[in-house]
Amino acid sequence: MKILVAIKQVPERDAQIHVASDGKWIDESDLNYTINEPDAYALEEALQLKEKNGGEVVVLCAGPERVTSTLREALAKGADRAIHIEADDLAERDTLGVAQMLADAVKAEAPDLILTGLQSDDLGLGQTGVVLAELLGMPHATIIMQVEVVGSGLKAKRELEDGWFQHVEMPLPALLTIQSGGNKLRYATLMGIKKAKTKETKTISAAVAAAAPAITLERVYLPEKQKKTEMLTGTPAEVAGQLVEKLKFEVRVI
Amino acid sequence: MNGILVLMEQRDGLWNRMSFEALAAGQQLSAKLGVDCSAAVIGDGVAALGNELGSKKLAKVFTVEHALLKNYTADGYVVALEQVVKQADPAYVVLPHTYQVRDFAPALATRFGQVLISDVIAVHDGPIFVRQLLQGKLNADYRQTGNGPCFVSVQAGTFRADAVEAGIAAVEVFVPKLEPAQIRNKPGELFRESAQTVDLSAAPVIVSVGRGIGEQENIGIVEELAAALGAELAASRPICDNGWLPMERQVGSSGQTVSPKLYLAVGISGAIQHLVGMKGSKTVIAINKDENAPIFEVADYGVVGDLFEVVPALTKAVLAAKG
Amino acid sequence: MVDVTLVAVVEARLSGSIFLSGLQASTTLAEPVRFTWPETGLLLVCVVVSAALFFWRFAPILRTILHSKKDTDFSLHPLGRRVWDFVWEVLCQAKVIKQRPLPGLAHAFVFWGFLAFALVSLNHLANGVRLGFLPPDSYVGKFYFVFAGVWALLVAVSIAGLFVRRFFVRPIWLGTKVSYESGFIAFLIFLLMVSYLAAFFVADGGAAVKVLWWTHTLALLIFLPLIPHTKHLHLILSPLTVFLKRDGFSKIPPLSGDEDFGLVAGKDLTQLISLQVYSCVECGRCTEHCPASTTGKVLNPKEIILGARNYLNEFGPTSDVALLTDARVESPDNPAKKYMSMEAAFECTTCGSCEYQCPVGIQHVPIIVGLRRGATNTGAWEDTYGTKLFLALEKNGNALGLSAGERDKFIQKQGFPIFDGSQEYCLWLGCMGGYDPKGREIIADFARVMNYLGTTFGVLKKEKCTGDPARRLGNDLVFQTMAEFGLKALETAKVQKIVAICPHCVRTISNDWREYGIAPEIEHHSEFMARHKDRLPKQNSGESIVYHDPCYLGRYQEVYEEPRQIVSLAGDLVEAARSHERSFCCGAGGGLAFLGEERGERVSHVRAKELSDTGAQVVGTACPFCNTMFRDALSAVSEAPPQLLDIAQLTARALPPVIASESAS
Repeated sequence: MKILVAIKQVPERDAQIHVASDGKWIDESDLNYTINEPDAYALEEALQLKEKNGGEVVVLCAGPERVTSTLREALAKGADRAIHIEADDLAERDTLGVAQMLADAVKAEAPDLILTGLQSDDLGLGQTGVVLAELLGMPHATIIMQVEVVGSGLKAKRELEDGWFQHVEMPLPALLTIQSGGNKLRYATLMGIKKAKTKETKTISAAVAAAAPAITLERVYLPEKQKKTEMLTGTPAEVAGQLVEKLKFEVRVI
Repeated sequence: MNGILVLMEQRDGLWNRMSFEALAAGQQLSAKLGVDCSAAVIGDGVAALGNELGSKKLAKVFTVEHALLKNYTADGYVVALEQVVKQADPAYVVLPHTYQVRDFAPALATRFGQVLISDVIAVHDGPIFVRQLLQGKLNADYRQTGNGPCFVSVQAGTFRADAVEAGIAAVEVFVPKLEPAQIRNKPGELFRESAQTVDLSAAPVIVSVGRGIGEQENIGIVEELAAALGAELAASRPICDNGWLPMERQVGSSGQTVSPKLYLAVGISGAIQHLVGMKGSKTVIAINKDENAPIFEVADYGVVGDLFEVVPALTKAVLAAKG
Repeated sequence: MVDVTLVAVVEARLSGSIFLSGLQASTTLAEPVRFTWPETGLLLVCVVVSAALFFWRFAPILRTILHSKKDTDFSLHPLGRRVWDFVWEVLCQAKVIKQRPLPGLAHAFVFWGFLAFALVSLNHLANGVRLGFLPPDSYVGKFYFVFAGVWALLVAVSIAGLFVRRFFVRPIWLGTKVSYESGFIAFLIFLLMVSYLAAFFVADGGAAVKVLWWTHTLALLIFLPLIPHTKHLHLILSPLTVFLKRDGFSKIPPLSGDEDFGLVAGKDLTQLISLQVYSCVECGRCTEHCPASTTGKVLNPKEIILGARNYLNEFGPTSDVALLTDARVESPDNPAKKYMSMEAAFECTTCGSCEYQCPVGIQHVPIIVGLRRGATNTGAWEDTYGTKLFLALEKNGNALGLSAGERDKFIQKQGFPIFDGSQEYCLWLGCMGGYDPKGREIIADFARVMNYLGTTFGVLKKEKCTGDPARRLGNDLVFQTMAEFGLKALETAKVQKIVAICPHCVRTISNDWREYGIAPEIEHHSEFMARHKDRLPKQNSGESIVYHDPCYLGRYQEVYEEPRQIVSLAGDLVEAARSHERSFCCGAGGGLAFLGEERGERVSHVRAKELSDTGAQVVGTACPFCNTMFRDALSAVSEAPPQLLDIAQLTARALPPVIASESAS
């Protein structure tokens, strides 16, 4: 079974954020980059499916030169091949533009299953997977916790609101977007990194964007309300009242 | 291309309440832009729901009916809604940002060469749609720059469902063209996981007790609070070590790692071994008598006080609020 | 080469005789007057057979050792240290006696007795082929044989005592199985001594002398081939083992080449390791002092060593069969059973007591870490907490998985200057100092001390973990990443001197980072403060403070006195029952602070009880990990637990308060 995993390299989750001088994005000079966390779970799911059913895991990532380190990590964790779509203009493309880039590379590979994280840690639009499936004419399902190969198709466990779940049966080829936490991630090993040196990484250049982006990110800024500890004071009854207010309207658990 | 179309969500004839927040959003946007606002509900046998929408201030209500739309499938909804949108020809399509919308709306937008502006937290003049980036660390202004309907989904709690204006709207039944072969997925029944063991990682609300509780007998007051909130009970290591609560309720570096919507730390100092287990919580409320307790550094709301007074008061207030 | 030798019964005449319980003893040894040619022939045959049997059993062992992988990092230099260790530990039996006095002294007597007998044994056999070279009536002979006789007495008494200890007292460290072979050998040694001594009481040239002579000879020749297959192999190997010990305490060798992932299979065992495991005397000193073994864990350092030895005997030094039993695909006869299990290997806190106690030069820690490397570097080790730790180090650069921004916030709040080359020291925060609330208190107090002393310092803008937990858990990939980052950061900032509050940081930076570069000199804050102790206030608190030696400061770096000097400034120093090189681990080392719950008794609780039992009012620590471990443990073991303070906190409490206008330079 050929599984293709589309991964994204994003700034480190807890990095200190400074808005760039032009206000259009963040200052990237001091940033460290890492694999998008839901994509790491997608990769783990792919590796486990390969261990169970045999086949090949190919990782795909679009971006500048620096994304090759994330591809290498993926190879070190057990992926068989990597494809780097060289593109320096990701910021100028919208989801549709990015998905089109990926679709061109995917068509050439003709995988049985495509896995990707449900959303990215940086932009968080949560759509690239679904759009990619639509462009390729594949059935899809989102926010998946578990995948099982059944006959010539698959059965996926989908997460819904409020603690509900649902199984979905689909034919192959198909695309799934994977939720974090479904599996236990594996760590990169020395042996894995050494083996990765012998695995193939193909570089292809992205085609020029077919159309202008449908949506544009105009500017970024820090939200007015920063995470600060709000200390509540008063008698126990008063404090309790204030807390209930917060629970109702801010936290929304009542 | 004119006006606003709000897509409402239902399941088995019951509304997803977030839909009304989207409806309020649609009405407010239409007022700002001076255009009409319409709504659509999609399913099988949803006439009653459509009629309910007929009592809202809308230009038109579409009741989209088809047998194949009884159970949600991405294919069914995308094919049907593509036809509805082409028919209604709105400039803006507004949806609630639900799990279901995340599953089909991007594909729907693609069919129009558009990209969904998802999980919007505010709408400014322009219109500019505001989203959050980097797990809430940054806000971003988005604008549609393409030609075609603009798809927008709104985050829960951004608009208030009770702000929906009443009125009168014409209700129209729309039957889309849909073939069984177009629907490729087979969805199963909804189910919940059987709670065999304590799985704190799935709990949306956790009330956690630490050494400040003093004696084993006192845990009762925290249990009452947890019950009132419908929360899972957890503890820091010393409590579990003493056997006052089972080990599986331990949160921390040698216990479970949790990231609930709300973590209420009662009498917990916030030692590093505990913090690493709950730092992923969306909101942290801490009650501790020591104002210098490290837990306050990670708390969103803090109460410096005697937990033996605050906790029962809080339980009482919560029960009163829940009615 | 030390041989068990026996004395030929040789008569030496001296004036006077000694009466011993009715027996007439002379101070000269009786000697058989003549050997017939058949007797000589028989002797030669016996000697040849004995020697042949010996070599037949010893050769495979020798071959195994020589065919093992070569140690790439081994160097004979510094030679002086090797010679000193040989003289002190082997010839003087210093460690043997010091760490287990009574049995140790008994063993020392047996050993010295063997040495003293060397010439006598040779002469004994030489007599049998009519080539005796030590005439009993010569001046040398007279002195020497009596001298040897005194030793024979000492050896006989000692070996009898050791026999009683092994078979009747039965200390658990020697194992639960009764070893008949040991008993037999003890008996042979006893027989050798007695048959020698008896010759002082017997007339020259009689039948009794002959009988004694043959008894003695046969005992010797039976003993010889028994050596290779038992722990008595140490007689031949251990002097070599002590001499060839890898330089440095608990030193972990670098990986050699692309195919080396640690101790995965037999073919990864190096010559030094093979030599060491064959030298094991099974004395159990390592187990006796192991915090894991004594708190009900599976790990038993002795069984790891013997497990490796049994493995070599069964599979050889070029085998591909996995060393750790859990890592073997099928489960063939597993001679090591559960002791060489992954579970055991990952229960080690790397405290180094085993290695420190070993009288024959076995270095346990590199072997255990080597086994861990074989499991972790290949991904065979699947542990939730271990994985979480490695991912946290990969992503966040600290062992706690917290955002690096938290450290930045702490630095800002404290107003620490960033190191820019103008300050004397770089203050290394470490993971505990940068992120743990208690560790931060220690850092803040130490900063106050430095300010008081007028020492300029700065902190690195960006600091990642030294990689110590990854290193001890065998993850060389993560360790390399951390080490290379740290070396580069220090080099870029042009740091020349570092001071740290954590012995793990100090050890890792000064020692383990060598694999990837040379770091600037680093010292522990106890060493720094001790150097300035004359300027630090002397407190008359009258408080009793029990000092706990951290493993990574005490045994690893031999820093014992400096922290004690600081403690003495703050109050009255009290020693725990086990202190200095015998200090009992707090349980956090070896990466274990980040792994899950332990089985059995908590190591930290055992030590906390020991410290609390001294009745001291304060427990003084010098390591933030020890501090963290004891924080919960002390309250758990005591109703009114002593206060817990780091030496920095003990010192800072006596400093005058900082006025707002004063600020760090």
